[in-house]
Amino acid sequence: MTSTAEDSLREMFAMIELEMRRLRHDRTEIYTRAIQPILWLAVFGSVMSEVRGIPTGGIPYIDYITPGVLLQSTIFVSVFYGLTIVWERETGILKRLLVAPASRSATVIGRSIASGVRAVVQALIIFPVAILLGVKFVPNPIYIVAAFIVLFLVSGGFAAISIFVASLMKTRERFMGLGQALIMPLFFASNALYPIELMPPALQYVALVNPLTYAVDAVRGLLISGDLSNLAVDVAAILVFDVLIFAVASVSFKKIIE
Amino acid sequence: MTLAIETSGLTKTYNGRTRALDGVDLSVDQAEVFAFLGPNGSGKTTLMRILTTQFRPTSGEARAFGLDVVRRGAEVRSMIGYVPQETSVWLDITGRENLLVYSKIYGVPRSRRVERIEDAISAMGLEEVAERMVKTYSGGMTRRLEIAAALLVKPRILFLDEPTIGLDPSARKAVWESLTAFKRECETTVFFNTHYMDEADHYSDEIAIISRGRIVKSGTPGELKRSLHGEILQLRFNSSHHQNQNQNGFDERALGRIKDLDLVRDAALCGSRLDIFVEDGERALPLVIEALRSEGVTFERISTARPTLDDVFLRYAGPLSSGRGGDGR
Repeated sequence: MTSTAEDSLREMFAMIELEMRRLRHDRTEIYTRAIQPILWLAVFGSVMSEVRGIPTGGIPYIDYITPGVLLQSTIFVSVFYGLTIVWERETGILKRLLVAPASRSATVIGRSIASGVRAVVQALIIFPVAILLGVKFVPNPIYIVAAFIVLFLVSGGFAAISIFVASLMKTRERFMGLGQALIMPLFFASNALYPIELMPPALQYVALVNPLTYAVDAVRGLLISGDLSNLAVDVAAILVFDVLIFAVASVSFKKIIE
Repeated sequence: MTLAIETSGLTKTYNGRTRALDGVDLSVDQAEVFAFLGPNGSGKTTLMRILTTQFRPTSGEARAFGLDVVRRGAEVRSMIGYVPQETSVWLDITGRENLLVYSKIYGVPRSRRVERIEDAISAMGLEEVAERMVKTYSGGMTRRLEIAAALLVKPRILFLDEPTIGLDPSARKAVWESLTAFKRECETTVFFNTHYMDEADHYSDEIAIISRGRIVKSGTPGELKRSLHGEILQLRFNSSHHQNQNQNGFDERALGRIKDLDLVRDAALCGSRLDIFVEDGERALPLVIEALRSEGVTFERISTARPTLDDVFLRYAGPLSSGRGGDGR
């Protein structure tokens, strides 16, 4: 007799394996999705570097925005992961997963983690391009691995948001609309492109509850500035976000099946 | 003997209004192939989703091998296989990879995984396509892969929701041949929904017909057809023979004798054809033949017109059925 926890863990790993197998068969999506972030770095980053209008604390602007761009690209992957769930709802896959021994929250968390893995693969493609563009990363492999763990944690959380949205918007069209409407505002209302202090006060409050702000801060500390003084707070904020959204998504997931 | 499936007074109401199931009492014996028939929207899929623990009934009880599907859902899930109506495999990986991922999701022990996957592939005749991407499969192959995935757990009950919907006749036949062969070997109880009458007729041991959330008729395919009391034996006389007969004398007497037989409800002569209405043709036929022989009547050909399962379905679930009566809506 196996416990539900064991079943749930196994389902999570099976979901990760599924994503990896899909990626092995077809990587086109990962490459096409890399184009936009690379343009952010190569065009927006290079041009704004010349302007020198944004106080970055002595960091070249292209380096400054690299963490935000990496996060944006991974979050794109996560947020549109909900589309897979919508598709699986239209097919019979979700019904089948409900009849598997694992708990329902394991299905949600497993899918979110699997999406996180996919998102990290996405970031891994952009990473060498950033090096080619002259971005100087902190030359410490532990810091880099830690940064990718942060990317993974945030992506998992956003995938859970996406599953939550998918359970409300049961068609692809509605989902696409909301997905688009979610990502760019989150990106602009964070410290990804400029320090929070430059924002109007109202927007500063939005930035403070925006999980992306903490993620950018953590990744920037680990990859670019080497300043880890906020890391504990940032990671704590990300974990709180993950736990909350996993719980909400697991509860709302029931709705998706009926 | 414990029943494979047993429900009593099962109801399901959606959003407090739409009544999908309205008091379903059902029992399915072990190792039986059970067909569940009903028009679209009659509650077939709802019942299957309750039995497979996907959602709870509004009231009533359902048990699989004695285990309550609500209270002991986890145990029920571990012994059933389920194939939903819609596609339930991933199209962008191979057939074998689908089985591997499902075997892990369903918790097949690592030591048995390879063997179970091989068994499922061969049971469904997928050896040649297992390494291909599923998006290159035909509809019949995809369906067989979906069934193969359900076989990985060696289920005691296999639930199939419209297993052959949208398949061409040869693909349907292939699916059923694989299922029948598997069934012979493994003694699994098979519960399937369908609205293909011929499938229910050929492959099931027992049938229940549901209409507007209620079971309106159940029994073996033979019992259901006989329940229409409509079987007709048609005897054609040799036409030259017929002309030589004295129609008013001999034929009238023979006709009277036929009408008096047990099991015969009526008989009528139409030209050179004698129509005999019986309840159970298989048992009535020898009596009829014997009676005609003793009257010295020879005939050229006998045919029986049986009510088909389509007739049964239309009678009990069709628009003229009285299924709606008194459900208090």
